Amino acid sequence: MTATEMTSETSSGIQMPKPDQAILARREEIVSALKAIVPGEGVVDNETEMRPFETDGFLAYRFMPLAVVLPETTEQIAQVLKYLAQEGVPVIPRGAGTSLSGGAIPQEDAVIVGLSRMIKILDTNYENRTLTVQAGATNLSISDAVASDGFFYAPDPSSQLACSIGGNIGMNSGGAHCLKYGVTTNNLLGVKMVLIDGTVVEIGGEHLDAPGLDLLGIICGSEGQLGIVTEATVRLIAKPAGARPVMFGFDTSEDAGACVADIIGTGIVPVAIEFMDKPAIDICEAFAKAGYPMDVNALLIVEVEGSDEEMDDMLARIVTIAKRHKVKVVKESQSATEAALIWKGRKSAFGATGRIADYICMDGTVPLGQLPHVLNETARIVESYGLRVANVFHAGDGNMHPLILYNINDPIEAQKAEDCGMDLLKLCVDAGGCLTGEHGVGIEKRDLMLYQYTQEDLDQQMAVRAAFDPEWILNPSKVFPFEARGNERPATGNA
Amino acid sequence: MQTNFSLAQLADPGVAEAEKILRSCVHCGFCTATCPTYVTLGNELDSPRGRIYLMKDMLENDRPADEDTVKHIDRCLSCLSCMTTCPSGVHYMHLVDHARVHIEETYKRPFINRMTRNMLTRILPYRDRFAFATRLSVLGKPFASLFDKVTPLKPIAAMLRLAPSKIYGKTEFTSPGSFKPEKQTQGRVTILTGCAQPALDAGINKATIELLNRVGVEVVLPEGEGCCGALVHHMGKEHQALESAKNNVRIWHEEIEKNGLDAIIVTTSGCGTTIKDYGFMLRNDAEWAERAAKVSSLAMDISEYLVLKELPAPNDTGEMVIAYHAACSLQHGQQVKSPPKDLLKAAGFKVKEAPESHLCCGSAGTYNIMQPEIAGQLRERKVKNIESTKPQAIAAGNIGCLTQIGSGTDIPTVHTIKLLNWAYGGEKPEELSNIL
Amino acid sequence: MSVLQQEMRDNMSSVKTFKPKSEADLASMILGGDNFEIIGGGTRAIGKLDAPPRNLLDMTGVSGIIDYEPAEMVMIAKAGTPIADIEKALKKGGQRMVFEPLDYRPLLGTKGKPTIGGAIATNASGPRRFVAGACRDSFLGARFVNGKGDIIKAGGRVMKNVTGLDLIKLLAGSWGTIAPMSEVTFKVVPQVETEATLVLYGISDLDAAKAMASAMATPCEVTGAAHLPQNIAEQFKELDGKSATLLRLEGFEKSVNLRIEKLQAILSDYSEQHVLNDKQTKTVWTSLRDVTPFSDGTQDPVWKISVAPMAGHQLVAEFGPADAYYDWQGGLVWLRLDGDHHVHKVRAAVKKVGGGHATLVRASDEHRRSVSVFQPENPAVAEISKRIRKQFDPLGKFYTGRMG
Repeated sequence: MTATEMTSETSSGIQMPKPDQAILARREEIVSALKAIVPGEGVVDNETEMRPFETDGFLAYRFMPLAVVLPETTEQIAQVLKYLAQEGVPVIPRGAGTSLSGGAIPQEDAVIVGLSRMIKILDTNYENRTLTVQAGATNLSISDAVASDGFFYAPDPSSQLACSIGGNIGMNSGGAHCLKYGVTTNNLLGVKMVLIDGTVVEIGGEHLDAPGLDLLGIICGSEGQLGIVTEATVRLIAKPAGARPVMFGFDTSEDAGACVADIIGTGIVPVAIEFMDKPAIDICEAFAKAGYPMDVNALLIVEVEGSDEEMDDMLARIVTIAKRHKVKVVKESQSATEAALIWKGRKSAFGATGRIADYICMDGTVPLGQLPHVLNETARIVESYGLRVANVFHAGDGNMHPLILYNINDPIEAQKAEDCGMDLLKLCVDAGGCLTGEHGVGIEKRDLMLYQYTQEDLDQQMAVRAAFDPEWILNPSKVFPFEARGNERPATGNA
Repeated sequence: MQTNFSLAQLADPGVAEAEKILRSCVHCGFCTATCPTYVTLGNELDSPRGRIYLMKDMLENDRPADEDTVKHIDRCLSCLSCMTTCPSGVHYMHLVDHARVHIEETYKRPFINRMTRNMLTRILPYRDRFAFATRLSVLGKPFASLFDKVTPLKPIAAMLRLAPSKIYGKTEFTSPGSFKPEKQTQGRVTILTGCAQPALDAGINKATIELLNRVGVEVVLPEGEGCCGALVHHMGKEHQALESAKNNVRIWHEEIEKNGLDAIIVTTSGCGTTIKDYGFMLRNDAEWAERAAKVSSLAMDISEYLVLKELPAPNDTGEMVIAYHAACSLQHGQQVKSPPKDLLKAAGFKVKEAPESHLCCGSAGTYNIMQPEIAGQLRERKVKNIESTKPQAIAAGNIGCLTQIGSGTDIPTVHTIKLLNWAYGGEKPEELSNIL
Repeated sequence: MSVLQQEMRDNMSSVKTFKPKSEADLASMILGGDNFEIIGGGTRAIGKLDAPPRNLLDMTGVSGIIDYEPAEMVMIAKAGTPIADIEKALKKGGQRMVFEPLDYRPLLGTKGKPTIGGAIATNASGPRRFVAGACRDSFLGARFVNGKGDIIKAGGRVMKNVTGLDLIKLLAGSWGTIAPMSEVTFKVVPQVETEATLVLYGISDLDAAKAMASAMATPCEVTGAAHLPQNIAEQFKELDGKSATLLRLEGFEKSVNLRIEKLQAILSDYSEQHVLNDKQTKTVWTSLRDVTPFSDGTQDPVWKISVAPMAGHQLVAEFGPADAYYDWQGGLVWLRLDGDHHVHKVRAAVKKVGGGHATLVRASDEHRRSVSVFQPENPAVAEISKRIRKQFDPLGKFYTGRMG
């Protein structure tokens, strides 16, 4: 099958490849082979039970899988991959299914390999400050396991309660606190990974840096296209003496944006700087009741860390800067509970938006200096589609998250929202940024890749991808636009 | 999320409500992380998000419930941890209640499963039948392991194991009547006498009434009050549930009209969640809606009521270390979180909260009977977490949890109100007689 | 590349030096040529000598800072830009490279000016690596030319970017074996107000490992943790001649002072404590970064070994009384040996203490020809690496064997 022959399975914009009929015809045989590898309830194969696996956190798109397999060991995954690769059946790795870009959305001729039954913490070493965990474990379960001993795992995507460490590695997830601590790739020391032929490799470990090419670096953020990570060794960090989120309210988004640039330009790098506009404040307050100031149009949550004296010192510096930008309200959290509520509200922003509307969440990143311009343009573009937007994002690193609000039951509005989102992403690229800061390309941004990259750029990426998975078995319909693939790079395993 | 219901379907108020709930879900998956069955089984289908999807599919297509869907809905504890977690405000409780009614109406369960469920619904909600059955089951206890050998009969084994060795008969505190404080009356309440609780531990009602009287609150137990209906409600037996609800609404509303009530106090939080939901359950019944709403608005957990009252200085209870176990119906169903802990602390106890306190102990009404394996795993996890805090006793506000946890540990379990009554002048709970 | 090799090369008429002035130049040279060795300032003569001399692809002509916005904490520069130029510009902007690129000139006796491209291609990270990341962690984007002569862009100029495969990670630390970069973008951070070092004197390697681990378990934000056995510590006039365990703190002065006090209290079991001031701290840590304790003008083998922090002292113990010191909380061991016969022993020791990797950063040319300089990869991983190299450089135009 060639790129041009691919057709959509739904009426909406993003195309999926036509399922391979030969694979569909062998479904029973494939399912029974999987059942021989993973016993009990580890293989889900009836239509009713597969339905909940048809989508992830990007639920505008839904495709049924051929089957779902939920292994319990690396060995089982190795056997499953080996078998499916031999049979040329596409594989969709799935962690917790919280992807906002459709990274775990299956296709009709593909088998989902879910990691949700592999959640054990295998080893904790405080002297080396490392922890080894199975890939299905949630991000937060790591920090929870070491919190009472004074440590934490730094990357904290908003979905950290639910998202898996394997998924984090696939998407190179970030979070609010990566301004100081970096994203997943900066905190990952090693992985155990199953290659498409069933070979199990260990890359990295408790030591730092790679002896040869930095394979860990290329695996991180590869969206499940290079192999299936089953275990990860991550870096632990000692918890700061204290942490205090402080809210700064402004009359305009421009003031808030300029304040961010000024704080960083002055040489102060807080642990986190989060931005919310008025609609986002309203939404988050409705859920978390964190006491966000309601009489401002833009809010910055700035978190500082350290001992009380250090935090006081740092805050005094930040307040001085904020005053230069006409800050209207400065509100410090008065207790750990209050601080937790402020973060709870922020981290639940996407979900809480569900209270008022359906939404799609964009994830472009722009250079900090472009923030005010991009915010203005965002408002203009969304308005031109007759839609509403709530902005809540990581201002410290320019990672925008406009939430386009719409009614998913209205097909015309749904199409508008999708088109609007694409325009917003182009805006980010035009401003010198990129399509996605932490959610990944998935299927959502796949067809915009040629807007950011040239054909040659993508050819090089696809060539590296092929070094791991020459037959394009793993998550084949994601990341790379079909139009950029050429005939030799199929969108299904057996085309 | 997107839904596909026809206008005809939406004409049914139950379906319309379900549609509204489904629309608010954004499929973010946060709920999976705090769901006891998902963290135990690791399957999307045994998570709130998976079940919501299964229910959506079943309801949208107006399909009779099938074996697979039923399996995963049955595994739901209705602990409502997901509702505490959900940022979008998805009312999972109303959705799953609706789906259970749909299952009950459209699915024919296997014979033994049906019999077991019918037996439970015919015994548990009735105080006298429950007491009788429990006495009888003591004789059956030695045979529990025999039932274990046949999968469909496992619930019988679980039931026999859970049966207490001691059963309470009727006492003055569980019979209709009025209890006035010695001094001036500062309030007037009724307490739900309950069905299973007084048979399992008559001391709970006694302690509640004594303590309320001591702080100047009159307690009245009106004639005719019965089971709240929660047990049958969770089994999808809507008619029976609504009949129970109406009975209590009638009795309590008469009392409200006649002599006035400040609150309807509940000491079994599982029941409290349902009574607070009467207003919703009867919302479409013009004859009952208003009264039910009134009753629901007055329903309060005993801890919610007591924190509003001025309490005297507590007696010295020796700074006993108490692990407070938050019953799901209290922390998730009613969102009552800090009052019980605040009360225990104020009464002089050293209160510990165990790790993973959001996870259910596995009791969940009849769950530990119908799903003994999962319930057992959850109990083990709960007990391990609680024991890690090294408490002298475990307190909870729900008899089901006390029985469930008590069956897995040697540490005594006791209702919160009995500790409070002790601290404020009542007798020391007999469960603690071995602790000096 | 050693001086000797350079001379040999210069004498061979068949070997040419290409010096592109631009990215377009570079692309056309690659398209038209073959058998390249990519060099920047020529200061990092490390790697396996696997073949006759190659054509030099001298990147120092592609030089200059393209964009630098302090408020965005990002710099874009052509790959051949000297590190010195970059540091000068950053100083003006009140910023610095958090990864402290190490300078190999003292150790290797090389001349020339280290370039930013060279630092990135060799993933040259300093003492802060174990907390603030390696050079590759600051690296945000690049333009490079693959072996087919295609100009490729990877990454970008923003800190968070997961758009497509993270190709730049493969470039960092690839030692010029897969493609020459023409332009690099990297993160920079504010300069700190002051730095100081808490020194614990006279403790054993094992106790030092424990002390460093304890320090790292505190919220004091230690940004350098090194241990110098007595024979190394003796070389520093800032220290008193006993073994020295060094814990570096950076930040605003008030905060640094507070944290030093806190750390002193936490480590009060170690009674001989001393604090180095800002200037002393800079001198000592630069020296440790650039391995000057082993900058002896010889070609005696020096190994750079990366293991788990608590394994460092175990590894050194395998060599009896050794010429070694520890950085990265013990996870980086600089080890000087006295002859060419230790390769197997080093590799076996790394394996024995739980794994990691060892690179023979200094050795005679003869030695570099006969042994593997880099840690051999396990077969499955080596196979993937081989395939990846092929995807960048299908015709094998670059110095592929260097990482052998």
